[in-house]
Amino acid sequence: MRMCAGIRCSFEDTAQFMEGVVARLFGEDTVKVFEGFSLLVCRGEFAEAYLLRGEVADLVKGLLGSGRVPYAAGLYVGRLRKSRPTFVPSVDFLSFLYSGLGGFRRALVVGERGLKPFLYGKDVLKASVLECFEPLSKGEVVGIVGEDGFVYGVGLSVIDSCRGIEGLRNVDVVAENVFDVGWYLRGGTEARERKFKV
Amino acid sequence: MGDLPRFSDVSDPLEWVVSRVRPGRRSKAVASRWGYRPYMVERYLNILGSWAEVGRLLQSFELSVSPSVRCNTLKVRDCGLLVERLERLGFEVKPIEWAEHCFEVVGGVNTVSTLGATHEFLIGMYYLYRGRASLLPPLTLSPVAGERVCDLAAAPGGKATHMAQLMRNEGVLLACDVSRSRMRALRSNVERLGIRNAVLLRIDGRIVPDIFPSHFDRVLLDAPCSGEGLIMLDPSRKVKTSMRDLVRMHELQVELLNAALDSVRPGGLVLYSTCSIAPEEDEFVIAEVVERREDVRVERVDAPLRLSEGVEEYFGLELPDYVRLCVRVWPHIHGMEGFFMCLLRRVD
Ligand SMILES: C[S@@+](CC[C@H](N)C(=O)[O-])C[C@H]1O[C@@H](n2cnc3c(N)ncnc32)[C@H](O)[C@@H]1O
Repeated sequence: MRMCAGIRCSFEDTAQFMEGVVARLFGEDTVKVFEGFSLLVCRGEFAEAYLLRGEVADLVKGLLGSGRVPYAAGLYVGRLRKSRPTFVPSVDFLSFLYSGLGGFRRALVVGERGLKPFLYGKDVLKASVLECFEPLSKGEVVGIVGEDGFVYGVGLSVIDSCRGIEGLRNVDVVAENVFDVGWYLRGGTEARERKFKV
Repeated sequence: MGDLPRFSDVSDPLEWVVSRVRPGRRSKAVASRWGYRPYMVERYLNILGSWAEVGRLLQSFELSVSPSVRCNTLKVRDCGLLVERLERLGFEVKPIEWAEHCFEVVGGVNTVSTLGATHEFLIGMYYLYRGRASLLPPLTLSPVAGERVCDLAAAPGGKATHMAQLMRNEGVLLACDVSRSRMRALRSNVERLGIRNAVLLRIDGRIVPDIFPSHFDRVLLDAPCSGEGLIMLDPSRKVKTSMRDLVRMHELQVELLNAALDSVRPGGLVLYSTCSIAPEEDEFVIAEVVERREDVRVERVDAPLRLSEGVEEYFGLELPDYVRLCVRVWPHIHGMEGFFMCLLRRVD
């Protein structure tokens, strides 16, 4: 375990994370997508997880051995939290997962007209949802995907399954915006980061 | 040239030059007409040798350069798809023949701010450059999959992410920078572009060899510099930098280049680059380092297009022969931002 400016990083049990967190949310078969990676967790104000392949993990080990911590490394997996949602995946993690699986899970495909406001930080409304991929759970994360198949962000589902969309009105929120790829461009305030503090 | 004092004969070559840069009447007049500090114009005359060529250089700094994009093949399988999407948005793009997967945005709503806010940009289909010269260092250093690579001054990540693309996300890329705010930009770019073989480290590059001595196959040092090659993008640089600032920059650049050489393995390559046309930050840094070390050799730069040779003589001082192997991008000759590159090999 290494600590620097209040941040501690250490390699943790990858299998436990995959089975306990990723498989629970996205299905048992997701584990195979991440074979050969090691899990690095850095805990400071937030707990952030990364998956690292061989040489990347070796370099990070060298770094930790010298008393330093990386700013980020490998594939950024997302944030680990104590309360629900206990895992907020990154856009890149979802992209990697979906391409490894060859399909979407726990995802909403949003049309162009809904994507624009989403990229300004707005929530996803029923009117803009084109497709829904199970499983969904209320208060849990959901991938927000464009018609082009790219992941545009992460939401928090307000419904427990795709069927729940039917009972909503067009103007009702289906997923709250947690993070979207426009966030950094907007000057990414820390307020929203705090909302998902560990 | 035989009678000129040589770099190695002078105890402090940079001070030697600084004391000799005395702008003449014509330099002062030209500087005032174009809005430059007079010492800059005096240097351009010394390097280029004629007022006609100085005029062409100053004129080229008044022209705008078109932005460029690098299609991110880590996320986009067919760059034709990106071109189609950009054209649908009203941009007109033209392939850059010497840089695979790269395009100049020549027409349409081609402001950098628009190109930096499209959905295609946000999902990491491309990296946006204000000019084309920044594409040269990664293509010249040319890292490949599986190597250990370090970028010692990486933020915001144009070159680091390009190298990760050339490495096909395999091997490892240590991307360092000292600036906290620029580190955030680097991280955002690395995540946006789907780079998974990088380790980002906020550190003073001069400390890197203490942690990773003789470790990397290739190191890029795209050094912090005055930006004297970027006047067309930022005219404030016509007056921003004094000769003294250049001397301070030079000292940091020498220390960083030594750190780059100490962190590359024997046999490995270091590419030194700057977006400056100032010999003080370019050939003088190379000579200062190479003259004092036994374990380094300057190699011929195999750049993807023909560039100009390094400056061999400056204010009557003869620089070592090998600086000729370094290359310069001149705005008035190559139609790009001013740039400098030099390739060094660490030898046993
Ligand atoms: C020319 S810029 C690098 C641009 C970058 N290579 C790219 O392509 O996007 C120089 C960088 O050096 C960084 N820098 C300045 N002093 C440094 C030092 N001592 N160690 C590491 N980085 C430093 C600056 O923060 C700046 O980001």
